[in-house]
Amino acid sequence: MEADRSTPAASVTYRDVTKRYPGQSHPAVNHLSLEVPAGDICVLVGPSGCGKTTAMRMVNRTVDITEGDILIGDTSVRDRDSAELRRQMGYVIQQTGLFPHRSVADNIATVPKLLGWDRGRTNARVRELLALVGLDPAMSERFPSQLSGGQQQRVGVARALAADPPVMLMDEPFGAIDPINRERLQNEFLRLQAEIRKTVLFVTHDIDEAIKMGDRIAILKDGGHLAQYATPAELLMAPADDFVEDFVGADRALKRLALMRVRDIDLWEAPLAFVGQSTAEVRAKLNGAEVPHALVVDSERRPIGWLSESDLQSGTVPQSPDSGPDPILDLDDVMRDALADLLQTETQYAPVTDAQGRIAGVLSVEIISEFLVSPEAKVEEHAAVERPHGE
Amino acid sequence: MNITPLHLAFLNTFTDAFNFIFHQQEARTGQTMVGGPHQVLHLTGQHLKVTFLALGAATAIALPAGVVLGHLRRGETFAIALGNAGRAVPELALIAFVAAFIGVGLGNVTIAFAVLGIPPILTNAYVGISQVDRNAVEAARGMGMRGLQIILRVELPLAVPTIMAGIRTGAVNIIATVALASLAGVSTLGDLILGRNVYGDQGVVAGAILIALLTLALELCLASLQWLLTPRGLKLARAGA
Amino acid sequence: MSPALAQVVPLLGQVTIHNRTGGNASCVAQNKGFCLGWAIDNFDRYTTPLLNHLLLVLVSVAIGFTVAFAMALLSHNRRWLVPTFTGTTGVLYTIPSLAFIFLLLPITGLGWTTAIIVLSVYTLQIIYRNIVAGLANVPAESKEAGRGMGMTDRQLLWRVELPLALPEIIAGLRIATVSTVAIASLMVFANVNTLGGPLYQQIDFKTNIVIAGGLTILMAITFDLLLLLAQRLLAPWRRPPREVTV
Repeated sequence: MEADRSTPAASVTYRDVTKRYPGQSHPAVNHLSLEVPAGDICVLVGPSGCGKTTAMRMVNRTVDITEGDILIGDTSVRDRDSAELRRQMGYVIQQTGLFPHRSVADNIATVPKLLGWDRGRTNARVRELLALVGLDPAMSERFPSQLSGGQQQRVGVARALAADPPVMLMDEPFGAIDPINRERLQNEFLRLQAEIRKTVLFVTHDIDEAIKMGDRIAILKDGGHLAQYATPAELLMAPADDFVEDFVGADRALKRLALMRVRDIDLWEAPLAFVGQSTAEVRAKLNGAEVPHALVVDSERRPIGWLSESDLQSGTVPQSPDSGPDPILDLDDVMRDALADLLQTETQYAPVTDAQGRIAGVLSVEIISEFLVSPEAKVEEHAAVERPHGE
Repeated sequence: MNITPLHLAFLNTFTDAFNFIFHQQEARTGQTMVGGPHQVLHLTGQHLKVTFLALGAATAIALPAGVVLGHLRRGETFAIALGNAGRAVPELALIAFVAAFIGVGLGNVTIAFAVLGIPPILTNAYVGISQVDRNAVEAARGMGMRGLQIILRVELPLAVPTIMAGIRTGAVNIIATVALASLAGVSTLGDLILGRNVYGDQGVVAGAILIALLTLALELCLASLQWLLTPRGLKLARAGA
Repeated sequence: MSPALAQVVPLLGQVTIHNRTGGNASCVAQNKGFCLGWAIDNFDRYTTPLLNHLLLVLVSVAIGFTVAFAMALLSHNRRWLVPTFTGTTGVLYTIPSLAFIFLLLPITGLGWTTAIIVLSVYTLQIIYRNIVAGLANVPAESKEAGRGMGMTDRQLLWRVELPLALPEIIAGLRIATVSTVAIASLMVFANVNTLGGPLYQQIDFKTNIVIAGGLTILMAITFDLLLLLAQRLLAPWRRPPREVTV
């Protein structure tokens, strides 16, 4: 999608917004004020009943605002006709709500048709969106009942994007999906967002999802109070109060690993052993090396395996050493996943390669834990664009 | 199996009935000619005319009412109770009541029959629309469809099976009772059934056969209409469910 | 209407008022909406038809229920029978009762037999459908639990499935009974003196219509409420199911 053709994202501002339901003593949303910059994902998160869904739904007025105002860009949502307002926003709900009596293509084309687009433009857009959300174009004539949950959710996202709205509202969109596909969908959505940069209001009850997806996170307390509004890193390093700290979880330090990549850390160096090299040379390198094992690499410096003691007994470095190189990590891997791999395979050292597969360094659990307690870690704060998802 | 006189009588009457339909014959009372395709077609045509008038009126009133109530999700007690009450109405009393208190003739009779058709159509319209997948409706609203658009584009197509079931029930109720219109001065196939003294057993049975066939035919037509109107996506969903 | 027919069928609005004795004579002569005096004096002419009506309904529904129940048991473990049974009962249901009476004319003539056949056949579809639906809606977990406890198929049916299907079965019985009460008044055409009898005999006399029609509707409502009560009492663990809309 060409950037100059698409609608620019708009900021969303809550100004002292309150929602009171008749007959209830406490407001559902209480004087909420926050600003979501254009192009950011703001995650509304909190325990059930905290008002996060209500707050989101006030943006497209599926819930009426009792007091206060919400602005899209500079315009108040209250000034506009609600049906027209909604046609300018993408809306994804947990159960998708696809129209069972319409094909995938017709579902996606719903808002364009409401806006009066002509056939050609609509069809082209549908094809574009199917590709964007990673669905086979052959799916366009299928019906929702013929799709899996994950596929349905993708169609839901495509449908929300159809009229190229500046703002997207997503209410626990991946909540009903199994964990494996949920992760896949989250990653794909982030990749998509990196391309199209919409302003997204995303509701979830899962703090891990919030940290993964959000550029900014708004934690809401019971009764619709805003407990903290900050970037994920700030949230993890400096929770505003006990509630936030509890909600984020005792494993805050580990959670921060989700925000880092392997390339963010200083890796150790292992002595390299080329195939055919004399083992005596290798032994010399091993003296005083950071990593007490030699890594066998090929002529392109790609890891083949680790040299064992018995390997060292022979005269030259063998083509296939005793231990394999796995797990091989990538510089762009999310640190949390890298740690998981290390623990899973019970390896102490794992080779890290660059995009071409060439050795860049070695990672170990020790490095990670050292980093977490180091003073640099405390100060580090990543701007949105540097986060591990999206290029 | 022995062919007893009873079997013969049975067979006889049915053959006589078919005869009645296709050949004019002398009336039991002797004075005029009755039966034959001309009269039969005329009476059938009349029967259908009254049926469709009443069905049309009933649908015109009950369908929009049921759809709107179902969309707004109001008046559930009323809609369900109406369906129940409709079943309890004795047709003979209804026709007599309308004739005595309002008047005879085609217009009044149509009112009576329409009253019979309204309850199932309204109840089913209400239930069909209100039971449409709430998520689809919420998504539609959130995407910016207005009330009427939601009804026309989302709720009605998805409620077709239930609504049509109601119309079919109403239609069958009406066509069955139209036979009684003879009592109110409107000529229908009921003339044959109620005029045993004139048309004889063969006329009566002929009338019964024709009414039964007509009803089955109407039911079949409406069933086909339902099949045609049901959106493909819905048929697939039901097959897969 | 053909002149021949006009001689024999009481045409509404043209019948001469006869046989109306007692009670407020002027009210009757003017055929006002409801003549209380006449009603009180002549109420006994409705008692026999009322009892006949009641008896006819009870017998027909009982027979219809028994047959439908037997059909449901038969098709419970032979799913292939269900479409056949549903189709057959459906066709029989579609045939208008009035026509059905006269289709049976050559076979059973007119009288109680015909009336009972027509009415019971009419109830088959709705009762059968509701029993089958009720059994189908029994949660699989309950059946699993029953089997796991060592129940035979038969015990499972009578101790688990049928009790759980009860609300829906009674709902079907309710609908069938109310419909039967309404149609039973047509059995006057089968020469059975139900409440349709007095109605038909003086079909333009307003007070008569109100009484005969009113009694029929009252009977229908009574049955409806009684069965609703039974539904609530017999299945207290469940709210009444959504009506299976006809």
